[in-house]
Amino acid sequence: MTKKKTAVPKKRSRTFSQPHTHGQGHCADLLRQLSAYIDDELPSDICREIRRHLGTCPNCEVFIASLKQTVTLCRHRPAQQLTSSDRLNMRRAILDAAHAR
Amino acid sequence: MRPAFRKTPPSRPAMQQPDEFDKLYRDHVDLIYRYAYRLCGDAESAKDLVQETFLNAYRGLKDFRGEARVSTWLYTIASRACIRMRRKRKGEPEHALSLEEFVPTSEGEFRLQIPMDGLTPEEALQNKELRQALDQAIDKLPKKYRMALVLRDMEGLSAKEAGTIMGLNERAVKSRLHRARLFVRRELSARGITNHNEHKSGGLRS
Repeated sequence: MTKKKTAVPKKRSRTFSQPHTHGQGHCADLLRQLSAYIDDELPSDICREIRRHLGTCPNCEVFIASLKQTVTLCRHRPAQQLTSSDRLNMRRAILDAAHAR
Repeated sequence: MRPAFRKTPPSRPAMQQPDEFDKLYRDHVDLIYRYAYRLCGDAESAKDLVQETFLNAYRGLKDFRGEARVSTWLYTIASRACIRMRRKRKGEPEHALSLEEFVPTSEGEFRLQIPMDGLTPEEALQNKELRQALDQAIDKLPKKYRMALVLRDMEGLSAKEAGTIMGLNERAVKSRLHRARLFVRRELSARGITNHNEHKSGGLRS
């Protein structure tokens, strides 16, 4: 349904360890793959290229750490709980609505 | 792609299944409320969504053949109901997030100014300011991206299962999830969170 390209690009020939300017070229390529990298979904050769790049690019290293932190926070955000009276009241409302029609 | 709960005759009248519905409700209401709250961001909307979900489930129970997991079926009903309800309430336009907008343009945008060093995620999230910043960032996400983030990173479902629920293939789910994470990261990076040691004084819940 999405019209745009997805996170994992088909091209695998570029390396990430060449000189660059942030926002252009290899760092922008890396940006597309970060979730797949964090989720361990990339082939090992791409992971190696990314690790090599991170070793030479402090900004990308900091950026990926911040994305990992973001995902960690989302995964651990405490969930809201229902009270038992909420459960009972909602059940009653659902059955009332179901029987009313 | 649609989950496998096609209609199949002969179907039983919904009124003949109170025990079945009660079990469905008892076993899944907490799960669906948690999901609904994460999608809606407030308790009242979440309760409305739970009721709409289980009302639709009550009516559809006789047609559920068990080809999908019950939880997947309920997540799907809730997701569709959420989209309908939000459309009705806000008429909000959906805008697409492009990767280019997430490229940092200044040094300060690369890192998060969040006190997490030496803390577990649970301890870090006892900081009320951080919880609010995270909630606000998630709440600002366009809903199709928020749904992907909630299903994958908060409900812990696989990309395949999230795709079944959202009616998308795995690639599309991953694409939305990636943009959603980058969006939340950017929102958090724009905030300076102060270091409250609330976890040492018993913590907070909200």
